Amino acid sequence: MTDRLILDVHVLQNVPPSNLNRDDTGAPKSAVYGGVTRARVSSQAWKRATRQYFNGRLDPSELGVRTKRVAELLAERITALDPSIAGAQAWAVAAEVLRTATGSKIEPPKRKVEAAKKNGDPDPAPESSYLLFLSARQLDGLAELGVQGAGDIKAFCKGKDNKARAKKIADTRHSVDIALFGRMVADTADINVDAAAQVAHALSVHRVETESDYFTAVDDRNSGAEPGAGMIGTVDFNSATLYRYAALDIDLLERNLGKGLDEDESPATPVRRAVEAFLDGFVCSLPTGKINTFGNHTLPDAVVVKLRGSRPVSFVSAFERPVRADEFGGHMEPAWARLADYIPRVEGAYGDEATETWILHLGPVTEKDSALGTEVPSLTRLVETAGAAVAARLERRG
Amino acid sequence: MSSVLTLRLAGPLQAWGVSARFTRRTTETAPTKSGVIGLLAAAQGLAREADLSALAVLRFAVRVDQPGRRIRDFQTAHHLDTGDSMPLSERFYLADAVFVAAVQGEPGLIADLFEAVRAPAYLPYLGRRSCPPSPPVEPAVQHDALLDQALAGEPWRAAEWYQHKRRDEATVSLSVLSEPGGDVPVGATGADSWRDQPLSFDPRHRRHALRTVVTSTVTVANPCARTPPPTRPRPTVPAHDPTGPLEGV
Repeated sequence: MTDRLILDVHVLQNVPPSNLNRDDTGAPKSAVYGGVTRARVSSQAWKRATRQYFNGRLDPSELGVRTKRVAELLAERITALDPSIAGAQAWAVAAEVLRTATGSKIEPPKRKVEAAKKNGDPDPAPESSYLLFLSARQLDGLAELGVQGAGDIKAFCKGKDNKARAKKIADTRHSVDIALFGRMVADTADINVDAAAQVAHALSVHRVETESDYFTAVDDRNSGAEPGAGMIGTVDFNSATLYRYAALDIDLLERNLGKGLDEDESPATPVRRAVEAFLDGFVCSLPTGKINTFGNHTLPDAVVVKLRGSRPVSFVSAFERPVRADEFGGHMEPAWARLADYIPRVEGAYGDEATETWILHLGPVTEKDSALGTEVPSLTRLVETAGAAVAARLERRG
Repeated sequence: MSSVLTLRLAGPLQAWGVSARFTRRTTETAPTKSGVIGLLAAAQGLAREADLSALAVLRFAVRVDQPGRRIRDFQTAHHLDTGDSMPLSERFYLADAVFVAAVQGEPGLIADLFEAVRAPAYLPYLGRRSCPPSPPVEPAVQHDALLDQALAGEPWRAAEWYQHKRRDEATVSLSVLSEPGGDVPVGATGADSWRDQPLSFDPRHRRHALRTVVTSTVTVANPCARTPPPTRPRPTVPAHDPTGPLEGV
């Protein structure tokens, strides 16, 4: 299996007093590793932050829409394509197409139907019973199908070919976020999408104790007769140097996204754009928990990206023995030293094939460190270089 | 004759659920057969709907090298349309644990699985997607071997700090949870049944059957043991006779 493609991302990031991701008691999440308590940020929290980051970076047409009101959304597109199909007719066409494509129930919610009856309002729009996650390209394809069959949509959708076409549209050309993070449809497993990205829980490289900030708030209109605090409370927090890890299955990403169809661009373009968006989003995003309380907006000090041919490797066990602050204080320098020492050892022991490595590092990189891979000066360059390398390998493979 | 494939399953977090449903996702205290067979099937690139029978018949056992501890995670979600809170979900993980899992079967299949784990078709994880293994799952094949012998012969795979913590013990005994077969050790301490015999991973009707699990122990050397083994001198208590000073009073 020489043509397998996997990208893994390793990040060291300092986070000052903060509470990025809290448990049900309000304390920052933690885990025990190497026998000591560590700060932890769940994978779900970071995946969500990464997806939110995409909203600013990618065109809405590359992102999916997750909604129950998917019939209305599709009806709008149908009307835009053919203005003669509008209103309740467009809803009916949209609902039938969606039923056929996704196998899920699409009907007006009972509660809304009853409310409309009582008030003498027109019938409400059909909805799916749970959130349907469809890409813009899938909605466009389904809208075209709806316009074609609008004459007698029920009969049209019963046709074997049309049924297969509708299913195929829902099952190909996914948006970037669906291709990366997956889709689950409760009624129909057929159109589920396996996530191409794997994100691990972020863990601190050192022992962490949760601290508690006791605060008092003064009432501005306090009188001399009642001079006490208006409110008292505590906020739990910790500060950490985090090791963050994610892996991207490039082959699965390609299956999820499909190949680019434009003649003037490479077939690898959709995958390349998704890889770039993921790298940028995963490195730069930060869960927003209590961010206005602590203002803990930081960026990573070190990023290592590897493009591999066999299997992903997490380096978290480099930190199983907790890092101690060095003589000048701080965990970042010793953490980087530990990582730089560990990478060649684990790769030597497990045998590693044609792997390309890129390093983005804020501190000075020593000669020994630069043997780890190619140093890149900026995140932009890192993202471009890794994206181009992925595309080049995909093109070579054809 | 059969071969045995052993896998070292280690990572900060693992999750091996037997009855994970709805909002409560639990974990057992050791890897399940369905979890490990799932890992192997994914490594081979089998589709979820694929016929599992070739893998499901493998005899399975797991040794608890470092038990770790259970942690509880809770997760909130918000409705994307309305912003309302969705039901909270609870997830349990095993933190800081190390296991050696083993499957026994026909040598050709075991050799294929060994290669598959080294270059897996799908990204590997320890029971739950957010739990990648670290260090990499280290597969090893023992030829002409039986499951329990193979696990008894494996060196202790616990982390160094954990071995060091038990440095006063020259040997340690580890629990082995295995399926009954020809070579169940005589000292087996009990049998239990787990619903983790995979029948189908098809998401439309995932099915598991009951499976007998026999618990036994094996004794392995502790590489971090103090040499020579500690012969702590018993603290000698000075003779104490309170009546002595009273003599002659």
